Amino acid sequence: MIHRSWLKMGVVMTGVFGLALGMVDVSGAAPASHAANGKPIIIGAVIDETSTMKPFDQPALEAAEIWAKKVNSKGGVLGRPIEFKVYNTESQATLAKSGAEKAIAAGAQILWVTCDATFAAPAVEVGLSHHLLTISPCTSTNLMGPEKFGPAGKLAFTFGNEPSTTGAVIARLLIQKGWKTATVVTDHLLTYFVDVCGNFTADFEKLGGKIVSQLSYTTGDHTVSQVASKAASSGAAATVLCTTTTATLPTFVTSVRTLGNTKPIVGPWAIDGGFWEPSTPKISTNLWVATYASVFGDDPNPTVRSLFHQMKAEGETPLTGGFVLGPSALEGIITAIEREKGSLTGEKLATAVVHFRDVATLSGPVTFSDEYHAVVSRRERIVEITHDKGRYVESLSPGKYGLVLHT
Amino acid sequence: MAGGARGVLPEPARARLRLAAEALGPLALIAIVALVGAQLSTADKTDAINVLVITAIVVGLYVFIGNSGVISFGQISFVAIGAFAAAIWTTPVGTRDATMPDLFGFLASPRLTNLESLLVAAGLGAVMSLVVGLALMRLSGLSAGIATFAVLEITYNVLANWEKIGPGPTVIANVPATTGIPQAAIGCAIAIAAAFGYQRTRSCRLLRASRADALAARGIGVSIFRHRLIAFVLSGAICGFAGALYVHELGSVSVTELYLALTFSTLSMLVVGGSQSLWGATMGGTLLGVLYSFLSNAVSGTTVFGLSFTLPNGLNTIIFAVLFVGALMLAPRGLTRNREFLAVALGERAPHPRGPVAIALAGGDGESPGDVETGSSGGEAASRSVKFTPGQPSP
Repeated sequence: MIHRSWLKMGVVMTGVFGLALGMVDVSGAAPASHAANGKPIIIGAVIDETSTMKPFDQPALEAAEIWAKKVNSKGGVLGRPIEFKVYNTESQATLAKSGAEKAIAAGAQILWVTCDATFAAPAVEVGLSHHLLTISPCTSTNLMGPEKFGPAGKLAFTFGNEPSTTGAVIARLLIQKGWKTATVVTDHLLTYFVDVCGNFTADFEKLGGKIVSQLSYTTGDHTVSQVASKAASSGAAATVLCTTTTATLPTFVTSVRTLGNTKPIVGPWAIDGGFWEPSTPKISTNLWVATYASVFGDDPNPTVRSLFHQMKAEGETPLTGGFVLGPSALEGIITAIEREKGSLTGEKLATAVVHFRDVATLSGPVTFSDEYHAVVSRRERIVEITHDKGRYVESLSPGKYGLVLHT
Repeated sequence: MAGGARGVLPEPARARLRLAAEALGPLALIAIVALVGAQLSTADKTDAINVLVITAIVVGLYVFIGNSGVISFGQISFVAIGAFAAAIWTTPVGTRDATMPDLFGFLASPRLTNLESLLVAAGLGAVMSLVVGLALMRLSGLSAGIATFAVLEITYNVLANWEKIGPGPTVIANVPATTGIPQAAIGCAIAIAAAFGYQRTRSCRLLRASRADALAARGIGVSIFRHRLIAFVLSGAICGFAGALYVHELGSVSVTELYLALTFSTLSMLVVGGSQSLWGATMGGTLLGVLYSFLSNAVSGTTVFGLSFTLPNGLNTIIFAVLFVGALMLAPRGLTRNREFLAVALGERAPHPRGPVAIALAGGDGESPGDVETGSSGGEAASRSVKFTPGQPSP
C-alpha cells in the first residue's frame, strides 16, 4: 500500500529534480585537447568552491589552471600535459576525505588541497596514505608537514608563508611607518592567526615597538564589538588584526571607525582584498595588508598583473593576493617533476621539493627544509586601502627577525 | 495482512514476531548499506562508511530526543568529547608532543588501541552526559532546547580554546583510520541494538508515557527526571562511541566539524525519518545520508545510468533543504510516521499523537479505532507497565 504522503513526496522530489535538471551541466565525457600529447599528469584538486575557504582556494586554483594551459601549450611537462580534476569539499571534513579518495580513484598522481591545514587534514591524510605528493597552494602555517602529520607528512608542503615571515613583515612595516605602539587583536579561530600575531608581537618588541594591549576573540563568540571598542580606545598608533574575512572583520573595522579611531589597522593576507570591506568610504580607510600580490591591478610584477587581468577578463577576478600561490605551487610541482626526470612517485617528488633553495616562482623565491614545509623569508606585498581603493605600496622582507634557513 | 497474522498466530507468538522484526528491520537496513558499500570503489566506500557513522549518531539522538520528546541541541557535545578522546589517545605520542605540547599528562602519554578508544569514548560520553543531565533533566520544551544548546556552546569553546585537553582551534591529525565498512557497520549495529534494548525496558516505557502526557505520568508516580536522565546517559554513551567511529573514519578531527552543522544535519535526519521510532532514526540517517552524499558528489560531477552531469556549486544544499522542507510539510511525523519497522511494512496505523496515557485519561477503551497504538514505539507497552500507586511521589 502506498500512502498518499509518499505519493506527494514523489511529486515534490520529481519537481525538485526536474528544476535542478534545468540548471545542471549535462554532458558526455569530452576529453580536453592538449598541445602536449603525452599521458596527462593529473592533479586532484580537493578544495572548497562554496564555503569558508572559497575566497582563498578558488582564485589559487583558477590561476593555476590558467598557468597550466600556458605550460600545456608550450609542450607540457616533459611532453605531458597537466590536467586538474576538481572536487568540492564545501569545507567539510567528510567531503574532503571522499573528494580525495575520488580524485585518486580518477587517476590523480598529485593531490592539491585546501588553503588551511585544519580543513585540509582529512584530504591530506588520504594523500599521504596513498604516498602522493600533497600540496596546499596557500596554507600559511607550517602544519603541512611532519609536525602535524607525523613521518608520512614528509610528502606534504604548502607554498604559503610560514607565520614568522608574515609577523616579521608586519612588525617591520609598523616600525618603518613610525607606528611605535600597537594594539594586537587575535581571533582564536585558526592557529594561523594566533601564530602571525604571536610572531608579530615578539618581533615588534625586538624592533623597539611597544604593545599597548593584547585583545582576543573567537569568530562566533559574539564579542567582537566589545573587543573593537577596547581597541578603539587603547591609544595605540596602530591596531594589528589577525583574523579572516568572516562577518566579524567588517564588524570590527566598522566599530573601530565609528568610535572615532582612524588610525591604521594592519593585518595579514587573510584580510586581503576589497570584497569584505564596508562600503562607506569613511570606514574603509587606512587599512594595511601584508599579502602575496596586489589584487588592485597594480602589482609591480608584470606577469602577476597580466595574470590578474586575464582572470578578470575571464570573469574570475581574484579576491585576494593568494591567487599567485596557485601558479607558484604549480611551478614548484613542475620543477620537482623535471628534477626527478618525470617521476610522479610521491617520495621522489617530496625529496626534490624539500631541497628547494630559492627556487624562482611567480610569488618569489621558495625555500623548504626538513623542518619547514612552508615558505620562509619571502618578501610580501604591502597594500594600503584608502577610501575603498587599494594601492600597492612596497615589497617588504621579514628582515633580520624573520626566520632564515641556513642552506 | 495484519488481520491475517492476528488470526493465525497466538498473541505471544505475534508479540515475539513483532519484537524480532522491530529489531531486525533497522539492522537489515544497516546490513544492506554495508553490503552495498563493500562492493563500491574505495572512493565511494568512503560515502557508505560516513552514512553508517552518521546513522549511529542519529540513533544516539533518538534514544534521548525520540523517547523523551525533549529537544536537545547538545548531543553533538558528546560526539565531540568521544571523538577528541579517541583521537588524542590513539595518535602517536610523538605527534602529540609536537602538536599538542600543553596536554595534561594523562592525555599526553598513554596510547590506546582502536577498541579501547571506542570503549573509552563511550564511557566519557556517558560520564559527561550524566554530569550535564543531573543539571538539566528537569527542563522541558524550549528551556531544554536552549540549555542543551548552551552545553554545545560550552563544549565547543572549551575544546577550541583549552590547549591542555586538545589542539585548540587546529586539527588533530595522524589518527589511525580504522573505521572501514566492518567497523562502521558493527558500530552502528551496536548503537541500534543498545537503542532497541533500551526501548524494551520499563524505564523507557515510562519515559514515553511522560512524553505523551507529562502531567498524567507524574500523576501516576513516574519520576520523569530519573527516566530522562537514564535516556540522556545512554544517548551520551552512544554519541561518544559514534564520535570515536567518526574520528577513526576521517583520520583527523577539529572542533569546527563537531558543532552546528553536524548538530542540525543529524537532527534533520532524525526528524525526517520519524523522531519517535528506531526505524525512523535509522531510515532518516541512511536515506538522507545517501541523498546528501549523492548530491555532494554531483557537484563535482557524477554519472547516473550513463548520463554525466554536474550540479552548480550550492545547488546540492538547496535541493537538500527543499526536500527537507517538503518532507516536513507532507510528512510532519517523519517518513515512517513514527512507526517501527513491522508497522510500516504492514501498513498499520500510526500511533496516536498523544499516546496511551492521554487516551486513558480521555476515557478511551483502547479498542476503538484510533485508540490502538499498533506498531508504535512502545506506548502500548507503557500503558501496560505503568501501575498507579497512590501516594507515590512525583519528581
